[in-house]
Amino acid sequence: MADQQQLTRSEILETVKDRLADILEIEPSQISEGQSFIDDLEADSLALIELVEALEEAFGSRIENFRVEDEDLEDLKTVRDAIDYVAERAGL
Amino acid sequence: MLPVAVDAMGGDHAPDAIVAGARAAADGGIPVVLVGPADLGSRVDLGGLDLIEASEVIEMDDDPANGVRRKKDSTLVRAAEAVRDGRASAMVSAGNTGATMASALLRMGRIKGVGRPAIATIIPVPGGRPTVLLDSGANAEVQAEWLVQFAQMGSIFSQIRFDEDSPRVGLLSIGEEPGKGDSLRKEAFGLLEAASGIQFIGNVEGRDVMADTCDVVVTDGFTGNVVLKTLEGALRAIVGALGAAFSSNAESAAHAEALMPALLPLYVSLDPETYGGAMLLGTDGVCIISHGSSSPAAITNAIGVARDMVVSDVVGRIASAIADDGSA
Repeated sequence: MADQQQLTRSEILETVKDRLADILEIEPSQISEGQSFIDDLEADSLALIELVEALEEAFGSRIENFRVEDEDLEDLKTVRDAIDYVAERAGL
Repeated sequence: MLPVAVDAMGGDHAPDAIVAGARAAADGGIPVVLVGPADLGSRVDLGGLDLIEASEVIEMDDDPANGVRRKKDSTLVRAAEAVRDGRASAMVSAGNTGATMASALLRMGRIKGVGRPAIATIIPVPGGRPTVLLDSGANAEVQAEWLVQFAQMGSIFSQIRFDEDSPRVGLLSIGEEPGKGDSLRKEAFGLLEAASGIQFIGNVEGRDVMADTCDVVVTDGFTGNVVLKTLEGALRAIVGALGAAFSSNAESAAHAEALMPALLPLYVSLDPETYGGAMLLGTDGVCIISHGSSSPAAITNAIGVARDMVVSDVVGRIASAIADDGSA
């Protein structure tokens, strides 16, 4: 059963930064909430799909039925957008 | 060795040509497992080959990344998962190139430290050792650091594929002098000069790709794909024009007939099917991307290349080279 109680926004932030850093081969400290995936972090569409899949894997056991819908992908333009998306589905 | 997973539904002539090629490879002693629909055996003779079931196909016109996300039970995704899960040693597909790359990247993952995977295509060189061109289409835009990794990965691929101890690496540009090219090429030139583990010979030009000038040509995926398609089109046009000239009158046809013993081996050496397919370098597993129009022979050759890459541990060697470079 999904365990939403333990998830916090800062935890989501750290997970997003960790996964994104892994994908882009940069340090997590180089990533901040306000950055744009494409303009600031130079992530291409495939890198964003990698991130989405990584987030689904990371939060799948914590948020019931967690999935980033395809139609929502184009709305995720910044690191903050991704965090907000996960947080909203976690009921935060 | 674990079997090579072959996408039975990828390519213009699937599944017949793919299964025929897979059967021939298996007859030659290479373990093969097909990936296709449950009823594949009722459509084509599988020759006793095992089948990993997959109910969907990512079509040629499907968006690559979204196709992989939406069609989780597709032949491509299941083939990549078989490699990831240790049920297959490598994957081979003649299907949607972008989706093949996305499946391998998203399911097998990248080798640690690799910025982006690149597609390495073998370009025949008349009378010489073939050239490895990368990236030939995976990344339309690249960073200078990635070009250095392409050079490292391409060198290892060339070493294994063509038994070349120290492949010569050239950076594709618009002039041989170090200052030639755009800002990306100039930055990459400096990084390649300083890079360890490769024999960088400087800039090369388009005319060098099919010449015995260098063994590995490094470029971005946009340029590499344009080069590849230009060469394919030019070769096809030349072969067509030669054929027309040979058959233009009885005298020419007779002379052409006499030349055939010399021309046929040249034709075979220039035929992409001889080399089986391109290899995706940088993913944590072997992935061979065959031409969409692959014949059974091309698929058999591709499976042979996959086997060679697994046996020679190309993934482990790239991982070591990238790790060594990162710790240097």
